[in-house]
Amino acid sequence: MTPDASSGPLAAQVAERLRADAPWEVFAERLRRYEVHFNGPVVEVVRGPLLVEGFGIRLFRPHGEQIGTGFRATTDLGDAALARAIASAESIATRSFFPAKSIALPATAGPISSDPPIVDAALWANPMRRVEEYVAALLDPFEGLPNVVPSFGSVRATLAETSIANSAGLRAHYRHTTADLEVAVKAFGGPEGAPPGEYWVNDRVRRLDPAAAGRPVADWTRWAQDARRAHPPTTGELPVILPAGVLAGILPTVIGFRCSGQARLRGIAPEPGTSVAAPTVTLWDDATLPWAPNTAPFDDEGTASGRRALIEGGVARSLLYDLLHGSALGSASTGNGLRGRGFTGRDWMRFTGEPTVGTSTLVLSPGAGGTDAELAEAAGEGILVRQLGWASPDPMSGAFGGEIRIGYKIQHGTIGEPIRGGTVGGVAISAPGAPSLLARVAAIGSTSELADDFYGPSMLVRPLSVAGA
Amino acid sequence: MASVRDYESDIDHLLARLERRAAFADILAQCGRGEMVRVDRQATRASSSPEMQGAAVRVWAGTKWVEAATSDLTLAGLEVVADALERALESDAVRSDPPGEAATTAGNSLTDPPHPAAELGFEGMIRLAKDVRDWSTEIPSIRDSIATIGWHDEERLYVNTAGARCYQSISRVRGSVAAVAVESGKVEFDFRSEGGVGGIEWLDFLSEENVRAVAESARSLLTAPTPPTGPVNVLLDPGVTGIFAHESFGHGTEADQFVRDRSYLKPILGQPVGPEFLTIVDNGAYPGGWGSIYYDDEGHSGQRTVLVDRGRFVGALHDRETAAVLRATATGNTRRSDFTGRPFVRMTNTYVEPGDWSLDELVKEAKDGVLLEHASSGIEDPLGGQMQLKVQRGRLIERGELTQAVTSMALSGRVLDFLRGIRGIGKSEAFSVHPGFCGKGHSDILPAGTGGSYLLSSAVVGPA
Repeated sequence: MTPDASSGPLAAQVAERLRADAPWEVFAERLRRYEVHFNGPVVEVVRGPLLVEGFGIRLFRPHGEQIGTGFRATTDLGDAALARAIASAESIATRSFFPAKSIALPATAGPISSDPPIVDAALWANPMRRVEEYVAALLDPFEGLPNVVPSFGSVRATLAETSIANSAGLRAHYRHTTADLEVAVKAFGGPEGAPPGEYWVNDRVRRLDPAAAGRPVADWTRWAQDARRAHPPTTGELPVILPAGVLAGILPTVIGFRCSGQARLRGIAPEPGTSVAAPTVTLWDDATLPWAPNTAPFDDEGTASGRRALIEGGVARSLLYDLLHGSALGSASTGNGLRGRGFTGRDWMRFTGEPTVGTSTLVLSPGAGGTDAELAEAAGEGILVRQLGWASPDPMSGAFGGEIRIGYKIQHGTIGEPIRGGTVGGVAISAPGAPSLLARVAAIGSTSELADDFYGPSMLVRPLSVAGA
Repeated sequence: MASVRDYESDIDHLLARLERRAAFADILAQCGRGEMVRVDRQATRASSSPEMQGAAVRVWAGTKWVEAATSDLTLAGLEVVADALERALESDAVRSDPPGEAATTAGNSLTDPPHPAAELGFEGMIRLAKDVRDWSTEIPSIRDSIATIGWHDEERLYVNTAGARCYQSISRVRGSVAAVAVESGKVEFDFRSEGGVGGIEWLDFLSEENVRAVAESARSLLTAPTPPTGPVNVLLDPGVTGIFAHESFGHGTEADQFVRDRSYLKPILGQPVGPEFLTIVDNGAYPGGWGSIYYDDEGHSGQRTVLVDRGRFVGALHDRETAAVLRATATGNTRRSDFTGRPFVRMTNTYVEPGDWSLDELVKEAKDGVLLEHASSGIEDPLGGQMQLKVQRGRLIERGELTQAVTSMALSGRVLDFLRGIRGIGKSEAFSVHPGFCGKGHSDILPAGTGGSYLLSSAVVGPA
């Protein structure tokens, strides 16, 4: 038998056929994906529907002071495959051990405190047309721009029906949409000798609004053009302004691990009440932020989502837990059991992976620093980094660092000439009293921006290590 | 689990149906399975790879490719995909052949190691991983150690309307150890990872001596100073050289970026880019290479392509389309990440061929600088030609001698300057190909091998 899409959420259908004498959980997804890949105005390939249905089963077997967990995911929905998945999960559960005595699966996904928007209704109703309209609106502002083209781009929209069922009686599901946007904006031409410049856009959003698609094009174009005349910065310990787009590549990865049960289990999480950041720094985890990519009514284990202060006024407050780490450390899950993390390429097929602890959206509370120009005024001399190649954050040590793809010198309190090349790096969070990015925050901007799984303003850090000419 | 071959007649049925409506169609069907264990001080975790199966179906619609995919390989599931593609074709009146020459390869190839990793079973993998953890955590200051061992078998069947029919089954095995050292709130770690196509021989490196060396290295970083900051002589270890060959240079040789005018290398094809002792290749047929394939996802055989020949940039990597546009030949580098990913020009195993310098000679030649060890990441800049490599640790070179360890750092510079500045390449004894995962842009992750020996040049480094 194969489940029928018209007869209800997939997880509940799998659960009906599941027979197991240990606590279990089924996380399932019905996914439709639609993509347009383009090179300037030329459409290279139109893709869709890409139809993927699958589920992951997790079984829990107590072993004395520990609990065995067995997980198996499959895209084969037939009875034989289900039997194989259960047998495999059973087999694995007798070999996997986690230091939790028991597991308390949620019986309901409530109380759900809010119902933030996460479904783009127009995209859901007519996905391919919406993607094509969005691409057309995105490309429109480039027409007539001299010597600027979007040379490598794609819009990939996913429509998901996520469902979860478990042996405690939970049956819950929700719909959501996401879209991945990638555009390499190239500036070229002009005087002989100047190589082309590029600004490479990567973003994940919940909705595709054609009316807003072209708005950032002017900034992208300017940054691509500036890359052509940029030079490496000078070497030194300098004040550095990091906008939301750069912080998004550093803080969620490091803070999501260091302020979690995973780090506490290893003895490297900050003790609540200790000072780990400048007094102006307040960081939240928020799974309720409207239209944020990780916002959901419940996490990927069925625990209701919410908001939680991790660092408040520079002081460590609370940690993030999933079911297993919460159980091992005597805490309840905070609704941060999330799937689809890691460098697997299957982040839109979350059913293929087990949950791990992570941030939903990491929120930095705005400060009194004002705009980037006002932060520059406060910096005096230094640099503003608009984009790093990759911040390559290491959650374990907290180290991060990458090449400056485009940034600007700050001279006499003013944002000036473009810079490119060289590196900027340091340690994001460290032991109390030790130097770190968070400890050296000198000012925080006043206007927040959503950048993937980070929501916050720019920050001025004084200083960070800059390696350049 | 099922094999793609179980669905072959339904796949043929689908191909025949599409052939009536389009000038060209192809199908890539895929099944995979595998096992992994991860052991640290807190937990022992065994897991199976997702039992993923599905098919990507592509047709030429006159001016562009149109694709659909499904995880349902039954005839009913495949028909849903065919219906969608036929609807898409209705809006394109032009019936013409796609650019380039279609592959007509027929083949059947599979990895057949004497001792497949599956023979170990979970018990064998857990036993080895626990040994690794224990050897590592016996070292003072090592708070934790993470040992992972895994294997993955993947089947791919490619068929097209020109007659190609390529079946391959590839077994990849990989192991790693990461040691976490903690003192006074400072956290450092180091790691080692190896893997390739084959069997359990790929896990031989997880010996007590090697694992203890990783743990000692992590411990040494607790008291190591930060690296120098600014322009210096840099000596790359073989792993870092491999990441350079792949991320910094290789992505610029993917000819789809030539067609998009998005490669800094396109204007200099045929020109010298480095010293005469520099040769860089991509080799999908490299024996045991992590990125080795028997056939690409357009039905061309995996093969060796010389990119830089004795200092001259001579070749790029092509699919059928770029080969047609640029009057070249397809090089067996068309790869889909899986059945849901589009085909792109991708690397397989990319490496700098060894030279004739000993490590000692290279250190003396550098005189002062830094040895970059244990590559942890890199990222491409195919248009701008900049480079970013990150390493977990390094060692200072002072007055022609290797001296103290330094902590993690990033390297930056212009690739062409770096190539021109190469002063020596290490001998074949130090050469190795390492396992890695590569994205095209920020998506479509797939296995890619990277390799080389020691390599001396100059660049900017800074803490990271």
